[in-house]
Amino acid sequence: MMPYVNEYDTPECKTLAETVKKSIRTPASLGLDRCIQCGACTASCPAARFTDYSPRQIVKKVLENDHSVLESEMIWSCFYCYSCNLRCPRNNSPATIVQVLRQMAINEGIGVEKLGYFVEIGEYLAENGASKVPGAGVKNMERDLGERWIKFKKDLESIRVELGLSSRDIRNTHGEVRAILEGTGYFEREKWIKTTIQEKSLHQLLKSQCMKEEDKSGDFGFENDRGYPGQAALII
Amino acid sequence: MKTIGDIPDRQLLLFKSCMVGQEYPGVETSTRYAFDRLGVDYIINDEQSCCTGIGHYTDIFEGLTTTAIAARNFAVARRCGHPNITCLCSTCYAINKEACEVLNTDNEIREKVNSIFREQGLEDLVYEKDDMNSKANFYHAVEILLSKASQIQAKKKFDFSGVKAAAHHACHYYKVKYLDVLGNPENPQLIDTIAIACGADMVRWYEDRTLTCGMGFAQLHLNKKTSLQVTKTKLDSLQKAGVELMIHMCPNCHIQYDRYQPVIEREFGAKYDTVHMNIAQFVALSMGADPYKVCGFQTHSVPLEGFLEKHGII
Repeated sequence: MMPYVNEYDTPECKTLAETVKKSIRTPASLGLDRCIQCGACTASCPAARFTDYSPRQIVKKVLENDHSVLESEMIWSCFYCYSCNLRCPRNNSPATIVQVLRQMAINEGIGVEKLGYFVEIGEYLAENGASKVPGAGVKNMERDLGERWIKFKKDLESIRVELGLSSRDIRNTHGEVRAILEGTGYFEREKWIKTTIQEKSLHQLLKSQCMKEEDKSGDFGFENDRGYPGQAALII
Repeated sequence: MKTIGDIPDRQLLLFKSCMVGQEYPGVETSTRYAFDRLGVDYIINDEQSCCTGIGHYTDIFEGLTTTAIAARNFAVARRCGHPNITCLCSTCYAINKEACEVLNTDNEIREKVNSIFREQGLEDLVYEKDDMNSKANFYHAVEILLSKASQIQAKKKFDFSGVKAAAHHACHYYKVKYLDVLGNPENPQLIDTIAIACGADMVRWYEDRTLTCGMGFAQLHLNKKTSLQVTKTKLDSLQKAGVELMIHMCPNCHIQYDRYQPVIEREFGAKYDTVHMNIAQFVALSMGADPYKVCGFQTHSVPLEGFLEKHGII
């Protein structure tokens, strides 16, 4: 598998920190170097509340230039809710840093299978100028939301007309959106993503036939914030 | 920091939202109903595309694609003489505002986007520095409603006195560009102020008021359990506070609360008495709109009939 080059999300630099700072995804004023490891990000984080995800530790790994962070399942837990972005007293932004790390992981084919679920969004946008919940998501929603939602979806066009809207929300972009997606290299990347997912699943299949499944559930040497007892109080 | 005096009511492009269009079209018609009666000068333009938000935040679109699509939408807004992009969805708001900042401050990316436009024969989309102002040209529809709160109060046909409601303010409105929001991002009052103008009795503080809705883009689909745990936390807190109506401002939050409340009840063995609507639906209802022909409540998963009957609307 050839790594994917994503010049603007993940500019090639000597360190993780430099790539993160130069990325189009992070603000120019990013306070990465100013991080004081106070943990306000983790304290504010919805993922940290229910999982072992820790934005504080993600930032620490980036500052230590520890590339193992790219292989951690952790980076896929962020909600992109930007609570850390709001609360950081040093204008750092773990939510945007994680976006860069995910893009770096994707370039190496790590976690790329997670994109399989959403990859049809691009073609739908090119065709209709709008986005939609991908097919796999619709299947899950049908299962979870049941008859009431399925009936609503069947009636959507007539409801829209009753509301005085066009029957379907399709935009008239004169092919410009498709041309832009071609020009930015989106379709090449989409093809690369699909091929990489296929290669990985084939590789996985061969591997499972040859050897016993190894335990992949463990993370990569992150200390667990919840297990951290804190420092003993200094009593004078 | 934005102030109410800065909010325009002229030359607005009401920016269509994909999730509103496909899940809660009544949010768009309610906004139009209210804007029409409040003397707001706005248009809707079908040439405007999706902001890319869903793909951008599920890591499918790279930043360059997102920025280029935004630049095209800015050209659409300018061309039709309505450069004040006014969003129904908080993610559209954040994506557009951020893309505008990038285009104005990063010469390399602006040049790259323009070179793509030229290569593709789309010269009329070329973006010159400061064609749009990231502070003055981007709004959420809720901000427009807030600036008209006293008119809403004066024009209301139905008073919601005695309705115990609470607000959920959208993360991508007040946590992304947090220095440029109305009020204090740690204690936003946009929805509360508008709902009070409609007579509602707002629960100003409830536990986890600023917690995200739990949708989390890929999270709802790939880590559903964690996603619903977050939503449950919020619903539990509303139940504890005795809230009968939750009011939000973003279709993603709307899906998460309204569509998934029955799922959480089933999967976690909980029971909730809260119903959900967007602030534009609440305002339209208060101004006399039809609950089905304008507000589109038939698209909701948590039935609103009990609430509407209790308060004498139907």
